[in-house]
Amino acid sequence: MPAATAVQGQVIRKRAIPVCLGMCLLLLSMIGALPVLAHDTEAGRAGAEEPVGTLGTVGSDTMAGLMLRWGEHLAREYPGMRLQLKASGSASAPPALTAGTTLLGPMSRPMTDDEKAAFERRHGYPVESLVVARDALVVVVHRHNPLTSLSLTELDAIFSETLRCGGESGLRRWSSLLDGTLQGLIAPHGRNAVSGTHEMFRREALCNGAFRPRVREHPGSAAVVSAVSADPRAIGYAGLNHLTPGVKTVALRDAQGVEHRPQPEAVRRGEYPFSRDLRLYVNRPPGESLPSVERAFIDLVLSPAGQAIAEELGFVALPREELNRQRRQLGLETLPAVQP
Amino acid sequence: MPHSSSTPPLRRSVRQTRDRLATALITAGGIGVIVAVMAIGIFLAVEVLPLFWSSADTPRIDLQALWLPQPYTGLEAPAHRWQPALPEGGGEPRFGMLPLVWGTLEAAAWSLVIAVPLALGAAAHSALFMSPRLRARLRPTLELMEAMPGVVIGFVAGLVLAPWLDNHLALGAVLLILLPPGVLLAGGLWSRLGGRLHRRLPMGWAAVWLMPWLLVIWGLAVWLAPLLEAWWFGGSLRTWLEVHLGLAYANRNAIIVGMAMGFAVMPSIYALAEDALSGVPGNLVEGAEALGATRWQTLWKVVLPAAGPGVLSAVMIGAGRAVGETMIVLMASGNTALMTANPLDGLRSMAASIAIELPEAAPGGTHYRLLLLAALLLFAFTFCVNTLAEVVRARLRRRYRRMEGLA
Repeated sequence: MPAATAVQGQVIRKRAIPVCLGMCLLLLSMIGALPVLAHDTEAGRAGAEEPVGTLGTVGSDTMAGLMLRWGEHLAREYPGMRLQLKASGSASAPPALTAGTTLLGPMSRPMTDDEKAAFERRHGYPVESLVVARDALVVVVHRHNPLTSLSLTELDAIFSETLRCGGESGLRRWSSLLDGTLQGLIAPHGRNAVSGTHEMFRREALCNGAFRPRVREHPGSAAVVSAVSADPRAIGYAGLNHLTPGVKTVALRDAQGVEHRPQPEAVRRGEYPFSRDLRLYVNRPPGESLPSVERAFIDLVLSPAGQAIAEELGFVALPREELNRQRRQLGLETLPAVQP
Repeated sequence: MPHSSSTPPLRRSVRQTRDRLATALITAGGIGVIVAVMAIGIFLAVEVLPLFWSSADTPRIDLQALWLPQPYTGLEAPAHRWQPALPEGGGEPRFGMLPLVWGTLEAAAWSLVIAVPLALGAAAHSALFMSPRLRARLRPTLELMEAMPGVVIGFVAGLVLAPWLDNHLALGAVLLILLPPGVLLAGGLWSRLGGRLHRRLPMGWAAVWLMPWLLVIWGLAVWLAPLLEAWWFGGSLRTWLEVHLGLAYANRNAIIVGMAMGFAVMPSIYALAEDALSGVPGNLVEGAEALGATRWQTLWKVVLPAAGPGVLSAVMIGAGRAVGETMIVLMASGNTALMTANPLDGLRSMAASIAIELPEAAPGGTHYRLLLLAALLLFAFTFCVNTLAEVVRARLRRRYRRMEGLA
């Protein structure tokens, strides 16, 4: 009984503020692009290779800013292109892809088997999955907090009530982590219950356990970071792209005692424990190539320029081999081997 | 109606129709409001009822599972937990509603603790002691306070007061201890000094005398707080509380909610209590004073007993508002569904939970219906409290009329 309702809860997953912000940005960017569009329409039609049309995507709100920046970059290059980006949460992508209202669905989590099966039933071929960037969850503390690293079991003991990830007993005081350099109770902060970040942390750090009720819930990663930066006894988790100078990240020790810092290199190689792939699901019949607009978009995303944009936004770029592997899969020309 | 005989019959009938139309409209409006209120209640009840028998999309929920501690996996002892959205991946949703009810009542209780003494004191003072001129200015000011939106109060509490108290916890504690005796001392001194001071500053303006005192107390607290903290609490009161007493200090806590919501409910308590106190028939007060009672005796022995039900209903209206208030609790409380009696810890109220979770709950699901159950509880509570308060006030008005008639 609980499973069914829980899944329903997950499907209706939207966060109004980022969406509104995204919409506003989108609107602004469109207004900014209008004169250019009007000016260049004739020139745009002249070139045969120019992708003309509307780029529509439906999906993740974590990736809203990223999709927008990629789209803007493309729209600057190809004035004949319009953007229509909807970011109401990863869960909105599979239905839109299945219904055929969009060809591209950005998601910050992998599709479930049910979602994939629904797509295949409708279209007769499997949905194509691309990894477009990496993201990671980081554990942050106040910048004056002497803590430098935590083991995964300690993390479980701080945040979890059910201790499924090997935490022996709840960690409540800083004195049991640090030798007297910080007193008092640990104040844990986190995301609200319907967010993908909350879900991922619960899955990865709590082994699907339950959070302690004392974990304060914030509506966004930025709010978690700002709350932690205001309290030396606080600890919280947030998306990698929300770090500020007020907080410092804590390295995580795995079962072997190896420390992992959320450095881009470690996240890129997947060594950092809480890294996740940001995905773009594509509706492409096997053997056919995509319409020009979508093709140009993916070409940008899987290029050094597109990856540089992702890095600018605080995500982690993909290694060149992975870009090339996916480019070959789509029939795009591969990138030159090494660039100085 | 002396004019009716001189007006022509046509105009008279037009006027009568107009009157009838107006009466009908007003009646319809009144009935409409009542129907709307009942419709809200019925809607909530209809949405909630499927919880109690199983249907296709919502399994039946056990009443005991809602209100009694449950043995959740991974916990040593049965506990109350409100963690509704534990989605796929082997989590059990935890629907213990008691922490929410507790949070709601705790927030309301602290706001009443802060608002009731201040509001009733102010009401008694302005009804009986204050100069009419000052009183005429005080009332609109307090009504302005009432007009302040909850979001603004919540914002100030959450983003200004909470960080301030976080950094000046010792100062806040010292102020809390010094203020009541300090103010009492000021009052005592005022009555002792007597004579010339009283001629310069009549009773109605005694509040002005309080102002420098508040400044002095503030200064004293600012001077004393760091010293006390260094001597007794090892440099940090918060650490001392956490280490020695095991009291968690959340920087958005019940006290902050109480202060902010106390500020919000104070004006309505004040206005209603002041109405009740100043409505006590003048002949009672005059009679008491004529018999030689002091003003204090008059207040305590005559006015308060007469106006008691009105004062009670004022407090009840305040409680109703505090229970239903959403934005202040949402922004000032941290929204952690805890059940602790520690006033320095966070809480999560029913109203705030509805505001946070309802947009994300699947319509028709258990979570959704439970949130509506919380809404129904809030509705029932405020409805009963407000109705009761209204009944009490109506009886009080009759009583005043009778008293006036007797005299």
